[in-house]
Amino acid sequence: MSLFIRNILISLGITVLLIGTVTYAISYLNRARITELTAIEDQLSIETLSLETQFSLLETAPCETSASSTALSSELTNLDNRLSYTENQLGSDNPQVLQLKKQYSLLEIRDYLITKKLAAACKTKPVTVLYFYSNAGDCSECDKAGYALSYLRDTYPSLRVYSFDYNLDLGALKTFIAVTKVKDKLPAFVISDQHYYGFTTLEELEKQFPKGALATSTATTTVRQ
Amino acid sequence: MSAEALLYPFLFLAIFFESFLLVTFLSKPARAYRNRAIVPSFPKVAIIVPCWNEESTVAGTVDSLLALEYPQEKLRIVLVNDGSTDGTAKAIEKFATHPQITTLHKENGGKFTAMNLALSKVPDAELVGFLDADSFAAPDSLREMVATFDSPEILAVTASMSIDKPSTLFQRMQFAEYSFAIILRHIFASINGLYVTPGPFSFYRQEVFTKLGFFKHAYLAEDMEMAMRIQRAGGRIGNAVRARVYTKGPPTYRTLIKQRTRWTTGFLRNMLFDYRDLIWSKRNTVLGMFVIPLGFLAIGGGIIVFALNIVELVRRGYHAVSLIQTVPVSYTFALHPFSWFYLPITALVVMGILVLASTVTWMVVGKKLSGSPGSLALNAVIYIVLYGVTAPIWLIRSVSDVARGVATTWR
Repeated sequence: MSLFIRNILISLGITVLLIGTVTYAISYLNRARITELTAIEDQLSIETLSLETQFSLLETAPCETSASSTALSSELTNLDNRLSYTENQLGSDNPQVLQLKKQYSLLEIRDYLITKKLAAACKTKPVTVLYFYSNAGDCSECDKAGYALSYLRDTYPSLRVYSFDYNLDLGALKTFIAVTKVKDKLPAFVISDQHYYGFTTLEELEKQFPKGALATSTATTTVRQ
Repeated sequence: MSAEALLYPFLFLAIFFESFLLVTFLSKPARAYRNRAIVPSFPKVAIIVPCWNEESTVAGTVDSLLALEYPQEKLRIVLVNDGSTDGTAKAIEKFATHPQITTLHKENGGKFTAMNLALSKVPDAELVGFLDADSFAAPDSLREMVATFDSPEILAVTASMSIDKPSTLFQRMQFAEYSFAIILRHIFASINGLYVTPGPFSFYRQEVFTKLGFFKHAYLAEDMEMAMRIQRAGGRIGNAVRARVYTKGPPTYRTLIKQRTRWTTGFLRNMLFDYRDLIWSKRNTVLGMFVIPLGFLAIGGGIIVFALNIVELVRRGYHAVSLIQTVPVSYTFALHPFSWFYLPITALVVMGILVLASTVTWMVVGKKLSGSPGSLALNAVIYIVLYGVTAPIWLIRSVSDVARGVATTWR
């Protein structure tokens, strides 16, 4: 074998080794991300269940529930940001991402329901936003809408925003969409039970909120996209 | 498939190329090449300096040749004024009385005609070298060059070129590029893969011209054509890595694009029209099966990668701007707490960094091995920033010129 051919073969071996190492390292990093997301979701799942249990135990005086769903919302926001980033990195059709999104959506629905229950029992009026998006390439304004909601969430922490992938294949989510009567016209918002479709500007979106809703702030929210 | 995904094959090739450089650099022939001792030998040498409108630099060029550490009686210098329209004639006539120097004047006919005229005046020289009139040779460079002709099959030898006193951004970029080219030339010479003997300080055995003929127009790439002719004839082209020569790089964007377009169209036209038989040639496997195909790939790949990057940049830029415009600017640029989770590390980024780091390392090695002076750090940064957006321009222009049959001009 000539020196040149030998060098070519060794170089190919080095290249494959290097690229294999890079691929493994990146895959390891992504696995670490998925593990962290799973850990956050597991923790959230326990906390949600704990809150629901407390609510059931104190049915006669639910407002005395020591835990607050506010803390949960804050964690949901953190999870949402990380999930969104991971989805960008691994792709929205990644099976692990899809699984995490489904779990996340369930957590959101449960948090939303318990927030409604607590509000009814304690006679409070939290401002909630249900935000439905699609990343199947059929919603050109969804990125901007999601970013605007992130801004509103950070600026007005009392907002409770729940974001959902409209096309996610999850029974509970489909039922939720049916119950809330949200049409397939994205981006879609349900702001304090009022429906609003499309996104033009931040100012236009702000106009959809009840008067004074964006001035009072104590809680946090979650936004996707 | 996304534009990003299309970049992976090119990154694979780039990593493969860098690996090949490393393996070949560590191979026995390259090690022997750079560790070769200079055996004192003083054959008769002629150095030809073709000049065209080089009044400001030619005196420095000649001074550097007169300072070469070589027996005076063995070294002849021929200055050829190729119909300059500035003060070049006057500048070279100042050396006319020097016993080692011959000055010639002729009507303008192109660089190769000036070289050939001078060649015809030095039939007794065993080795004939050429030095562009905007370049300067280091005092010990000739001894290094001569020593590299250590076997009869070595018909030509190239030197290690650096940019002389880089001052503009583009010259600084070229300084780093030339440092990389030093190591490329050293490595490929060790496996006889060179296809160009550059104007600044390349030397030939006299038999090259007696047996293979004088220089040709060769689409204004006479140095490339002569190297290809030598390769076709089965000769070897060596490299004296410690023979330093400094050249004035084009200072501006316009002059650089002009020069590189000339080089690239010269490569394409010579290869496609006159030396097509060298492509995939089994006679010279390194050149035919590897170096030349890589040359074509580098041109095509450079253009494709540039286009893909532009597409991606526009797409992401448009997306980012539309997002930024959605909310107050202060929100977008607010600092967020650091978390490893959000580190933008992808296979593409890591592989890109790998190629870049490897290239910069080769620049350092090239500069160190040749002993070229000057600082590399800032120039390497300028290279990283500028090269990727400058080189594709001359590549695109060259391909376009060759495809449309547009003739290339010297300046």
